[in-house]
Amino acid sequence: MSGLRRVLAVLLPLSLLALAAGVAIGSVSISPLELWAVVRGQGDALHRILLLDLRLPRALSAFAVGGLLAVAGALMQILLRNPLADPYVLGLSGGASVGALTAMLAGLGAVMIGGAAFAGALASTLIVFGIAHGAGSWSPVRLLLTGVVVAAGWGALVSFMLAVSPSSELPGMLFWLMGDMAHARNPAVPMAILLVVVLAAVPFGRTLNILARGPQQAAALGVAVRRIEWLLHLAAALLAATAVTVAGSIGFVGLIVPHLLRLIIGNDQRVLLPASALAGGILLVLADTLARTLIAPEQLPVGVITALLGVPAFLYLLHRSPA
Amino acid sequence: MTRTRPPPKIALPVVLMVALLIATTLGSVGTVAAAGDARSVTDDRGRTVRLAAPARRIIALAPHIAENLFAIGAGPQVIGTVSYSDYPEPAEAVPRIGNHGALDMERIIALKPDLIIAWVSTANRRQAERLETMGFTVYYSDSHTFDELASTFERIGHLTGHDDTATALAVSFRQRIATLQRHYADAPPVRVFYQVWDQPLMTVSDQHLIAKAIAVCGGVNIFGGLDALIPRISPESVLAQDPEVIVAGGMGEANHEWLQAWRRWPQLRAVRNAQLHFIPPSLLQRHTPRLLEGTERLCKALDEARRAQAPPP
Repeated sequence: MSGLRRVLAVLLPLSLLALAAGVAIGSVSISPLELWAVVRGQGDALHRILLLDLRLPRALSAFAVGGLLAVAGALMQILLRNPLADPYVLGLSGGASVGALTAMLAGLGAVMIGGAAFAGALASTLIVFGIAHGAGSWSPVRLLLTGVVVAAGWGALVSFMLAVSPSSELPGMLFWLMGDMAHARNPAVPMAILLVVVLAAVPFGRTLNILARGPQQAAALGVAVRRIEWLLHLAAALLAATAVTVAGSIGFVGLIVPHLLRLIIGNDQRVLLPASALAGGILLVLADTLARTLIAPEQLPVGVITALLGVPAFLYLLHRSPA
Repeated sequence: MTRTRPPPKIALPVVLMVALLIATTLGSVGTVAAAGDARSVTDDRGRTVRLAAPARRIIALAPHIAENLFAIGAGPQVIGTVSYSDYPEPAEAVPRIGNHGALDMERIIALKPDLIIAWVSTANRRQAERLETMGFTVYYSDSHTFDELASTFERIGHLTGHDDTATALAVSFRQRIATLQRHYADAPPVRVFYQVWDQPLMTVSDQHLIAKAIAVCGGVNIFGGLDALIPRISPESVLAQDPEVIVAGGMGEANHEWLQAWRRWPQLRAVRNAQLHFIPPSLLQRHTPRLLEGTERLCKALDEARRAQAPPP
């Protein structure tokens, strides 16, 4: 486990730095001295509101969502044994989008939009599992294909809803579809879910490593493949649904972070899963800080930034890695 | 009040006094004695908005709201507004706090506004709701008739301590609309297509304020019966309805491209009679006092169309 210790020794301080940056940087500039005053429980009332009511919950939520997406992506990649798998591969973000846009069209508030997104995500997961199970057993290929097709169906529904929505609602809908942290308030639930799933998954790391090599091999080595796969699916769906509920469908984090880490630290799930949680969190906190400030007072959806940051970084690593 | 008209010379002062009386009665008569400067009005969501004193630090969440605040004399009190707040000229110097889709919450809070005026039909509404839960006073504005618009002037005038200017503005606004209405009451109806956007093709239904302007000028909105406020329609349906006049805004204040496109169909009556009219979007599409000028131009355009229809003498 020395690998894990080394990775944590790098990523934990980086996480704290990223969170500190997320809290310290905003469109209203607050000097380090004023920051320190607020940290000590004093300081200007305005600064306290900005730091404690706006930036801190938002940075923590971003961290949690990034972690949730990265871990969900890592789990999906093991499960489907497909490098292109991401948290949304089973149509999860499509279902969530349809739920959220319906709530927006009905003029409901932020809480209901989150609830509708969660319901949509779960509905999509159930549909995909139900159909993929079908008559025979479900193979990863069958599951993947079902997911892709169901996602295409959701995509059509989303386009339909955008086409018939009043133009005044469109900017809000597009922000949601590209992922937006502006409505995240309480980081406690996503943080808790992330922590519980990662802590629960690490002891299974060895099993997951075997599973990643293929189900036959895993079964031959005495792994209860079916049960583990079910657990993995449930965990990944829960993680991704939580993330989508908080921040809309932020693309890319779940796909790129696990791959990026594999290129650097290898494919040992005992290290990879906690590392994904931290690295995903770091990426999203930094991306959200940029989204808030880059062209302030105009705001950007965070999904735009994650892709703009992640694509070149990933291509560079891929290009450098042997085969 | 919009229909009756006392002899011209004493009309304005009398109406002003009556309106002031009504405004103060509608306002917080009960609390006036105790709090002195306290203000209270009902916004367009039907909620009561209360202020201990007239607002001094106002944030406008839509360009036309900033324009209205300047029009009632509250311009110097506007400390923040959104992108595209470009009228009147001093509005361009007001600090920006976001756009119609998303707001910079930090900047808004740092500006310490005592009144935030939001528009019901915009996507930043949800963030306005959040600001409200954080303890800020938010007034939601929305108008679908000329009278509601005039009453908006009065209500934001009361909240910002400019009752006199605002009431005078509302009174003259109502009067001029009533004058137009009387003038065109017996004019032969003209069938109008108003184009809001080009691709996708959009128009207004009769619930929209622009449709009310068309009605004032004696026009008939060919898509008036549709459900949506700003319906998306097909060019086919325009051809089928064959309007006598096509009126369009455009991207920008002097871009006639959208109208040129209709010339592809010379069989359209509006094209045959050269009744394609451009009216700058800021005059008709923004719910501000300039809507009067837009409506007057629209009426002239419809008049021209009537003359084009009339058989040569």
